[in-house]
Amino acid sequence: MKGSILASDNAAIAAGEWHPAGSSRSVEARLIERAGEIAAVPVGGEKPLAGAGLSWVEISGRVGSIPRRVTFPDGSIFETWDNDGVDRYLAMRGKGGAGLVHWLEQFRLRLIVIVLLAFVLGGAVYRWGVPLLVEVAIATTPPIVPQLMAKGTLEALDQTTFSPTKLPDDRRKDIADGFARIAAQSPRGAGAYTLNFRDGGLIGPNAFALPDGTLVITDQLVTMAGGDTEMVVGVLAHEIGHVELEHSLRQFYRAAGMTGLIMLIAGDVGSAVEDVLVQGGGLLALSYSRSAEAEADRRSVELMAKAGYDPTAIARFFALLEEKLGDKSNTNILSTHPGTPQRKKDIIDYSRIISGQSDPDLQ
Amino acid sequence: MSFAESARPAGQAGGFHRIVFTGKASEYFGIWIVNVLLTIVTLGIYSAWAKVRRNRYFFGNTVLLGRSFEYHAKGLQILIGRLIVLGGFVVLNIIAALVPILVLLPTLVVLIALPWLVAKGLRFSARVTSYRNVRFDFVGGAGGAFKAFILGSLLAVITIGILTPLASRWVARYVGSNLRYGGKAFETDPKLGPLYKSWLLSFLIALVGLGIIALLVLMNLSLILPMIETPGLLTPEQQIPLIFSAVIGYIVLFATFGIAGLFYKAGVRNVTWSATTFDGQHQLMSDVSRTRYTWIAISNVIVTILTLGLMRPWAAVRMARYTWEHTGITFTGDVGELFNRIEAQGSAVGSEFMDFEGFDFGF
Repeated sequence: MKGSILASDNAAIAAGEWHPAGSSRSVEARLIERAGEIAAVPVGGEKPLAGAGLSWVEISGRVGSIPRRVTFPDGSIFETWDNDGVDRYLAMRGKGGAGLVHWLEQFRLRLIVIVLLAFVLGGAVYRWGVPLLVEVAIATTPPIVPQLMAKGTLEALDQTTFSPTKLPDDRRKDIADGFARIAAQSPRGAGAYTLNFRDGGLIGPNAFALPDGTLVITDQLVTMAGGDTEMVVGVLAHEIGHVELEHSLRQFYRAAGMTGLIMLIAGDVGSAVEDVLVQGGGLLALSYSRSAEAEADRRSVELMAKAGYDPTAIARFFALLEEKLGDKSNTNILSTHPGTPQRKKDIIDYSRIISGQSDPDLQ
Repeated sequence: MSFAESARPAGQAGGFHRIVFTGKASEYFGIWIVNVLLTIVTLGIYSAWAKVRRNRYFFGNTVLLGRSFEYHAKGLQILIGRLIVLGGFVVLNIIAALVPILVLLPTLVVLIALPWLVAKGLRFSARVTSYRNVRFDFVGGAGGAFKAFILGSLLAVITIGILTPLASRWVARYVGSNLRYGGKAFETDPKLGPLYKSWLLSFLIALVGLGIIALLVLMNLSLILPMIETPGLLTPEQQIPLIFSAVIGYIVLFATFGIAGLFYKAGVRNVTWSATTFDGQHQLMSDVSRTRYTWIAISNVIVTILTLGLMRPWAAVRMARYTWEHTGITFTGDVGELFNRIEAQGSAVGSEFMDFEGFDFGF
């Protein structure tokens, strides 16, 4: 056996203190190897306090230079600050010394590689890992989930805020016909969407889409539009865009993913920095919300163009918003929606691009 | 037995002993960056093992009478605990998302389960901590945790902070008086007088912060009033100073309440530790300077952010060193004698393997 050749009698490993099982009483002791066994021997004595074959004792892994503990089968322990002594012994016995993780952790020049790797991989997880997980989550979400979510939300709104529509039947039919025309252009087909009219109550002029394709438009919005059905259809096309691009699920999963990421590294960055990250994450979520609105605007332009409508109809809606509500606010980092003037310009620019004219900004 | 005579911790008479912190920023840097890297690579799974290495490093470098504390939790144990808590939370949130009527269900369940989780978390933290081969234990139940953490915070919030010292007292008594070491009890009873003395300064700092914010609102009143009456009236140019003021106000709020909180935290630490005895005769002590503590905490955050997190290990070690080196204990009688008598008591031994972490509470 290898051990018996290397070990002279009583090969000293380290000096430290020995404790009986479960006791704070300690005895100054030495850890030695004797006849293939590892044993704790009192200073100035020969009779071992505890001993066992190497495979029967548990030696704690190395972390920095904190004391190592050797646990014997009888529950007694030997504790030593002499990490190098223990590692030398473990290496000699072919047990890998202090281990790979401790090797990586040492304050050497090679740590720069680990720092760079951590930054690059951290950036990669943020840039690609989280979006990938979001896509996987969306793909594996059974259709019943958005359906139940939508059903519950609409029921709750009906009970609390909405009341049945008071629009005349022919007005509703006009809008429903226009809606059917653009819904037919969506890859999901007209059957994937249902349009609901409601009196918005406190919510006022608004239109929104639930993740299962349920669209709601309020009487107040239709009234605000006056006789401009095309414009209302443009707004509905924007909502279809939200459904097609699965914005609500995507935002939910993204928020969950970012929160998870921050929580996992929380212990390693400290609570104050964690707070700062959470605030930053909130600002980022707003920026995603703005880009989702812009995406839905572009989708409206495309659907309207395909259905033979004026692709910039939704821009008229924004002009109306500016006029009626005086909404001239610019985009800032605290807003969920892009500024209205900016949206109007982007829509007109985009409709020029898809209708074959070149980008006006490049002229 | 032969070791009975030599069984005594070396050179430790009774009297006052300070804790020494032996951790080094350079050494912890390696442990920290490898923790971060492996956590990223394993998409968070390694964070449980990272926590073990981090705590082993900090506990192992916290030294009293030449012997360090030890952290015994295993990565798998922590991972399982986290998965249980996370799983419960996800299930609750899915239910709430699907059935909007139950939107308050997660909050309700968390409020009911929280005291239990806190008590369990404290017991776990105590049982995985040892000093001189004897584990700590925690015997507090869910009822006490409810009073200390939920009722206390509620009272503090309702009274806009005026009853915070009472809440702090409840927390200190709950945590301190339920702590055991080798079957012997700690006893904590901070008086309200000193707690209020420490609270007053923080309250004044918070008032100053609120005063600055009130001033900001007053200065912009000519812009804010028309905005409330007719939203959207302001031109983008007029909005800029408003947004600027909002950002400043936010930072002032964050900073003053942060400083007030840190001052208070340091004050409470001093009062609580200094009102704690072990086994009815050994007196604990804390004498951190509130100004110094606050300065260290704030400069730590700033340095950490400016170095993109790279100085976090330095910051963590700096804070641990400052607080631990301003902590001590006065032993009555012979220390060697004391520790010769302390034995682990039943329940604290081994049973932590059946515990899960619940909520993370460091000591």
